[in-house]
Amino acid sequence: MKLSDVQADAIQELGNIGAAHAATTLSVMLGSTIEMRVPAIKVVDLSQLGEYMGEESAAMVAFELQGEIPHGGYILFYITRESAVRLTNTMLGLTQIDRPLDEMDESALIEVGNIMVSAFLDATAELLGLVMLPSPPALTIDMAHAAMQSLIAQLQEETNEVLLFSTELVCEEHRIDSDIIMMPETSTLMRIVELLENMVKV
Amino acid sequence: MHEPATYRNEQASMIGIGEYRIGSSPMVTIGLGSCIGLTLYDPNLKLGAMVHIMLPESGGREDRPGKYADTAVPLIIKELVALGCKNRSIVAKIAGGACMFEYFGTGLNIGKRNADKVRILLQECHIQLAAEDVGGKVGRSVTFLPADNGRVLIRRADGSSNNL
Repeated sequence: MKLSDVQADAIQELGNIGAAHAATTLSVMLGSTIEMRVPAIKVVDLSQLGEYMGEESAAMVAFELQGEIPHGGYILFYITRESAVRLTNTMLGLTQIDRPLDEMDESALIEVGNIMVSAFLDATAELLGLVMLPSPPALTIDMAHAAMQSLIAQLQEETNEVLLFSTELVCEEHRIDSDIIMMPETSTLMRIVELLENMVKV
Repeated sequence: MHEPATYRNEQASMIGIGEYRIGSSPMVTIGLGSCIGLTLYDPNLKLGAMVHIMLPESGGREDRPGKYADTAVPLIIKELVALGCKNRSIVAKIAGGACMFEYFGTGLNIGKRNADKVRILLQECHIQLAAEDVGGKVGRSVTFLPADNGRVLIRRADGSSNNL
């Protein structure tokens, strides 16, 4: 799996647009400014996944990409455990940092993930003219590598490399650091690249 | 997403997805979800092997034998036997095979299929399965110490740990 510079730029632009919409919704939910980092695109060999996702405890709300393409891959809202507590504290009006995450936190995280990923996919659908809908959400709060590995094992198309396309969203005021990570199936990625290239030609 | 990972154990070899290693030095796999960390150990030769299996069936693929149970298990047994190990003295331990996302897991449960496949293959090869820590919905990291009588140490995200 190799992307040309032009293709990588195009996907980065797609990420910019998607993440900007997601950042706006998060900003409204928290009543605070959200900064967006430059989207990162990485082609990762499976054996090297540990270089990007480690043992750190994180909350991940995962969605399968559905819609026009029935099994398009996965998209997830990723937030470290510490940031997850600060996020739900801000939403629920709590202050204690050193506490376990309960059902209320889990509901809040799923809701935030749902809203942000929906905003991301709405924006990319409008740009691409390709409707990708999120499946119902699935939450895990555990080792990041274990969760990501499980999603990779579920991909429909057999592959030794995955494309991880992530955009970091940061709220300085509440010290919340989160990511939206998209991991398309190879055929979905090619379809997206093709649509973006056609757009540039016109 | 953090990059690069801050975790790095200088003395232990990292066994990534689909990788395997034979030897007597420490080996580590981090963050097993539905994957299986399989260790084989021969107490007579104090030699071990570790493999990080992702899927049960290779479907005829041969490029990464460590990735699939049906190619990984015979391969590492063969390599240990080639080094002088006897099937009847090899002791196996397995960890992982979890279902991290319950919603997606219901139809597929790759973790359970991985564990079932590995158990069947070990039985077919007459390898004793001494211990296992599989299933549930938790991630596990595994440290394998062949030099310490084949000790297997499991760690979880909540900080708990145990020996296999």
